[in-house]
Amino acid sequence: MTGKVTMGGSLGKSLLSILAGLLVAGIIMQVSGYNPWQAFSALWQGATGLHTGTAAPNDLSLGAGKFAIHLNRYNLAQSLSKMTPLLLCGLSVGLGLRAGLFNIGAQGQMLAGALAGGCVGFIGAPNGTFPMVLHIPLVLIAGAVGGAIWGAIPGIMKAARGVHEVISTIMLNFIAINLATYLVTHNLKDPTPGKMAAQTAPIAKSAWLAPLVPGANLTAGLAVALIAAIAITFLFRRAALGYEIRAVGLGADAARTNGIAVEKTVIRTMAMAGALAGIAGAIEVMAIHHRFMPSVSANYGFDAIAVALLGGLNGGITLAAFFFGALASGANFMQLQTQVPESIAGIVQAIVILFIGIRTFKPKQSVLVAALLDDERRLDDEPF
Amino acid sequence: MNPSNSSSWVAALLMATLSNATPLILAAMGGVLSERAGVVNIALEGLILAGAFAGAAFGQQSSTTGMIAVLIVGAALGFLHAFLTQKAKMNHVVSGLGITLLVIGATRYLNLKFFATGLNIPGIDKQVFLILACIMPFAVLFLLNRTTFGLRLRAVGENPESARMTGISSALPRYAAVTLSGILAALAGAYLSMGDARTFSTGMSSGKGYVALAAVIFGRWNPLGATLGALFFGFFFSLQSQMQIFGWKLNFLGVEWTSPILLDTLPYVMTLIALLSTVGRATPPAALGKEED
Repeated sequence: MTGKVTMGGSLGKSLLSILAGLLVAGIIMQVSGYNPWQAFSALWQGATGLHTGTAAPNDLSLGAGKFAIHLNRYNLAQSLSKMTPLLLCGLSVGLGLRAGLFNIGAQGQMLAGALAGGCVGFIGAPNGTFPMVLHIPLVLIAGAVGGAIWGAIPGIMKAARGVHEVISTIMLNFIAINLATYLVTHNLKDPTPGKMAAQTAPIAKSAWLAPLVPGANLTAGLAVALIAAIAITFLFRRAALGYEIRAVGLGADAARTNGIAVEKTVIRTMAMAGALAGIAGAIEVMAIHHRFMPSVSANYGFDAIAVALLGGLNGGITLAAFFFGALASGANFMQLQTQVPESIAGIVQAIVILFIGIRTFKPKQSVLVAALLDDERRLDDEPF
Repeated sequence: MNPSNSSSWVAALLMATLSNATPLILAAMGGVLSERAGVVNIALEGLILAGAFAGAAFGQQSSTTGMIAVLIVGAALGFLHAFLTQKAKMNHVVSGLGITLLVIGATRYLNLKFFATGLNIPGIDKQVFLILACIMPFAVLFLLNRTTFGLRLRAVGENPESARMTGISSALPRYAAVTLSGILAALAGAYLSMGDARTFSTGMSSGKGYVALAAVIFGRWNPLGATLGALFFGFFFSLQSQMQIFGWKLNFLGVEWTSPILLDTLPYVMTLIALLSTVGRATPPAALGKEED
């Protein structure tokens, strides 16, 4: 339905897009009466944890005296914890884009995964008699299955009836949020007397991911996300399915001529994209909330679009996820320190999307196909 | 239930349907114009939100000032979408999403910075928008089928190559159509803030732009068909509030089916069902979303 999506691009273009976003944010802060330098300084400190001046008790310090640099481990851990769902959802959106599918539904898929993972997390609640080494992988698998089911629906609708996935995934987001809200206020509501909050009871302790830095939300969930990133890279470098997904993304008709079952690939891609987002939901439940609630998915599904578009696919998404995770966490710190609304981070994100999407030079389709096929050695002896 | 009660229920439901369909119709007309010219307009959602905010922020003293701001903001953002898709050759969905996310971020930021205590505006009578929504489908139909501009717009949407060979540049009709669609979507937003809520709240567009786009597809890119689609979805948006007002309850299999939270999903579920039954039979404008070399 729409022309080629630009993903990633050169490092220079990515950096320029980020610079443009920050510049626009700076101008907006200046015009609306804030001190942008103070705000950016707070943003940086919140994002990376690096700061000068006096060290806090738990800081790591490099150098001494006036030129010492201190690292606040809590701030860095918060950025990395926000990076975790962004990376998984970014991979989800990126995977879809490779097949020419716009998965705007990571939010709903994340919720479906969080719900399925949460249900499995209740096994042995509240104390957790179930062994942890089994429980945590089980919750992850349940999350992947839940997300895959919610992701497969728009895939099937696309394959069977040609329903455009942009609209169907957005509708499924709204449906997922309302179903989740219904469940936590009715059938799955925390039965503890006096608890009015719209959430479930806590999951079993055996499915809690332990914080790596005291007080912060960073857990081993980040490792799961990084493994997923490596797996996706492998999928596109080595696996037959990766080749099929790319071929469908380059053009459904040509792919079909070459014997690829396009409809099946579309459904599979969307299910896998849903699974990635679903794992993100399960991790959020195990690492941060320890229960299911509709706000688990926050805004990660939409933020992930920026991650995928900035990041491209191979490794780039990991860097982009770190950048946007740090930006979100830094903006949070910035609002506390300087009262600048943290929604400025959303503006930066939108500007980055709009800049990375600009294509002043547009190669002809045949050149583009040739260029993409060039780096795919396994296609050398196959006509395309 | 006695007859007089049921007739008042029907009347109330019809009125609520019209009210809920009004912003959908206005935005859908924008969608028809833009898509018939060949530009996918996912930006409708953001344009509605921008219109809602502009109307509330500038309409505190005078509704006229508010309306002028709505028109300017809608035209500017519509033009931006046209510029990004035509000049910067951006993927239409990326541009639309980018603009929507920009509006979400910007309205949050501005609302918190300048109107943290809440906005109260005199607003405009709902009926003004209702009349607009009744006229607009016919106006768009006339524009598309009875004017030279409409002919050119359809030509660049169906076959820009041939249009160019007959001396019609695709740029001008597309810029005009997408800018107009921005204005129409912003008017839909103005209905939400100035006509209905008399205030602004973040995210108040709540997916109406996407539903309007679904109405366009449902109505096969025809203004009157899209209007019917918008009325159909408007009906399901109004069902929730009407069920609550009349206190209908249905519990079955341990699920409270008449819970407002569940009824709220109806328009979105119906959108999916409608698309499932429409697509395949509907043919979009041939050059929709495609780029020229």
